[in-house]
Amino acid sequence: MLKLSNNFYLIALFKMKKRIFMMLMGVALITTVSSFSTIGGDPIKIGVYGPFSGGSAPMGLSMRNGVRLATAEINAAGGVLGRKIELVERDDEAKNERGGQIMQELLFKEDVSGILGPVNTGVADASTKYSNDRKVPQIINVSAGAKVNDLFATNPDNYIFRIAANDYVQSEMIIREALQKRKFKKPALLCDDTNYGQGGRAKLESALAKRGIKAVSVGKFKLKDTDMTAQLQEAKNAGADVLLVYGIGPELAAVANNLEKIAWKVQIIGGWTLSMSNFINNAGKNGNGATMPQTFIENGVTSSKGSKFLAAYEATYKEKNIPVAVAAAQGYDSMYLMKMAIEQAGTTEGPKIKAALENFKKGYTGVTGTYKKPFSATDHEAIHEVNIIMGVVKDGIVVPPNK
Amino acid sequence: MEQFIQLLISGIAQGMIYSLVAFGYNITFSTSRSFNFSHGNFLMLGGVVGLIFFINNQVPFLAMVLAVVFVGLIMGLILYKTSIEPSLKSKSNYAWILATLAFGIILKNIVEVFWSTDDFRFDSPLGNAPIRIMGIGVLPQEILIIIVAICIVVAVESFKKYTIFGKAIVAVSEDKHTASLMGINQQFVILFSFLLSSVIACLAGVLVAPITMVGATMGTVLGVKAYAVSIIGGLESGYGVLLGGLIIGLSEAFTARYISTGYKDAPGFLILILVLLFLPSGIFGKKIFKKV
Repeated sequence: MLKLSNNFYLIALFKMKKRIFMMLMGVALITTVSSFSTIGGDPIKIGVYGPFSGGSAPMGLSMRNGVRLATAEINAAGGVLGRKIELVERDDEAKNERGGQIMQELLFKEDVSGILGPVNTGVADASTKYSNDRKVPQIINVSAGAKVNDLFATNPDNYIFRIAANDYVQSEMIIREALQKRKFKKPALLCDDTNYGQGGRAKLESALAKRGIKAVSVGKFKLKDTDMTAQLQEAKNAGADVLLVYGIGPELAAVANNLEKIAWKVQIIGGWTLSMSNFINNAGKNGNGATMPQTFIENGVTSSKGSKFLAAYEATYKEKNIPVAVAAAQGYDSMYLMKMAIEQAGTTEGPKIKAALENFKKGYTGVTGTYKKPFSATDHEAIHEVNIIMGVVKDGIVVPPNK
Repeated sequence: MEQFIQLLISGIAQGMIYSLVAFGYNITFSTSRSFNFSHGNFLMLGGVVGLIFFINNQVPFLAMVLAVVFVGLIMGLILYKTSIEPSLKSKSNYAWILATLAFGIILKNIVEVFWSTDDFRFDSPLGNAPIRIMGIGVLPQEILIIIVAICIVVAVESFKKYTIFGKAIVAVSEDKHTASLMGINQQFVILFSFLLSSVIACLAGVLVAPITMVGATMGTVLGVKAYAVSIIGGLESGYGVLLGGLIIGLSEAFTARYISTGYKDAPGFLILILVLLFLPSGIFGKKIFKKV
């Protein structure tokens, strides 16, 4: 059978018109030459994944834009180790199972040297196992609820890092803002039913329990819910004096708008997602006063690095207000951290990059703050309370608290 | 008491939104025994077109409504030609299920790629401030939704009952082949029902937009819940969907308030299962006898 097909091939070759044969040879020659010319400067592949479509897309797209911006700057300045950085971008559609599939593709087919992302807690928890198994460092740049330091228990050799305010830090700051600073006594919790919302709820509850307080009511809503009347009535009847929320933009906007409908004036304090443009725009004046922890506030930028970043972002993407500024800033910084670690390691081997991340020689001044040693061998969280300020929504933008 | 009435009104408004979408399933099911599984995405398209014209480009309200009707007609025609007609002609009777689902996915992805993936605010022309009557807040848009939903159902049902063409539709839904023998162009009747259904979906998109916000995913959940409403009310009955909508809308509001917010959707779907078990053609549905 094999022989027969070989013969066919030969006969076909002989019969091939001379001209076509020459053309094919020419094409083959060109491709060989062009592939030769890239050898020596093989790009370093970095995987980026997040939700680039669907309801969480604004976070994913802003993050990706931040990463792209940093990559373009790095490449324009000569790349890393004399090689260019090439991004391999994949859309996880905020679906947990897509996260796992993408990781396998990035790690085994694309053979990336590092991974940035994702946004959604469920997606992250479904995919970090793969980077750990393959020993490729991953910097989570948006997801607040994903397990990072918790992974040390099962994976002492942990390749997962994060540059984002995690939910432990956020819930602690939310509770402190509500109870200590603003002296509220009876918090009501209202969280969505995703991994992110319910993870946040659990952390808020334990931060309350530490202070010997129990939430007067705990409500839940689903993605795409627009009528929150029942949940809000329950909280109001329980005598709540502050509403602690954990969800994403559109539904949080529905919460704010429904408060207006049932004529209940109550302070909203919640996770960083209260700064998403689709909360601020959709809630309009009802969103004023909503307070959330932020690593980066577009309208409160004081550092030169921050204003440079904003100018570059606006010039490249023609967006005046970044839909999710926090995600863009963290995306940008995560790329630089990865680049500096590869530079310090002098190689693209996973274990060496990880060692470099854990023991930064040069400090890094980024958009979200200055990091002398962002990570250590036992702490893979770059963002701590000192890097976070509480932002407040005011007439369509997020401003620092004293503004 | 005040809270109870507030919940009641919220539940009714939500239920009418479901009914309006569900009615689109009914119109085509009665004529062709098939419907557009991505009805929710047609609603989304209506909302997006409405937003682009009315909010982004300040086109007058009526002109925007005409544009949305036009888009609805075009999309209904394309859907019919690509997904329904080939399936009705072929031996495999159920190809329309996947064909319409695929059509909706393509539509949603096109909107995501060429327009936006974000959710946008759609300011109601009636204003966003709730009207307050004895402490109970109602959005003007909610009142409008309730009125329009009932009007559309009554109008279409009367059209079917009192006009010649309407009677032709009923005839086709009773028995396609006999209707054909009586000189009714059944293919045209089916096409007409799809056009009507998709125009209503697109208009519904504009109507619910101030409540749901406009985005590529605005129709997904609505489409599924409306499907449950259709089944509960009876796929053949126009007035049934109003009842079905009320059942789902009110059960959601009261369950969330008095049982648990986490179980909000459960009773509605429980009722769906009970209806399927004991009244397979819906509460208002006619019993279908299939002669073999």
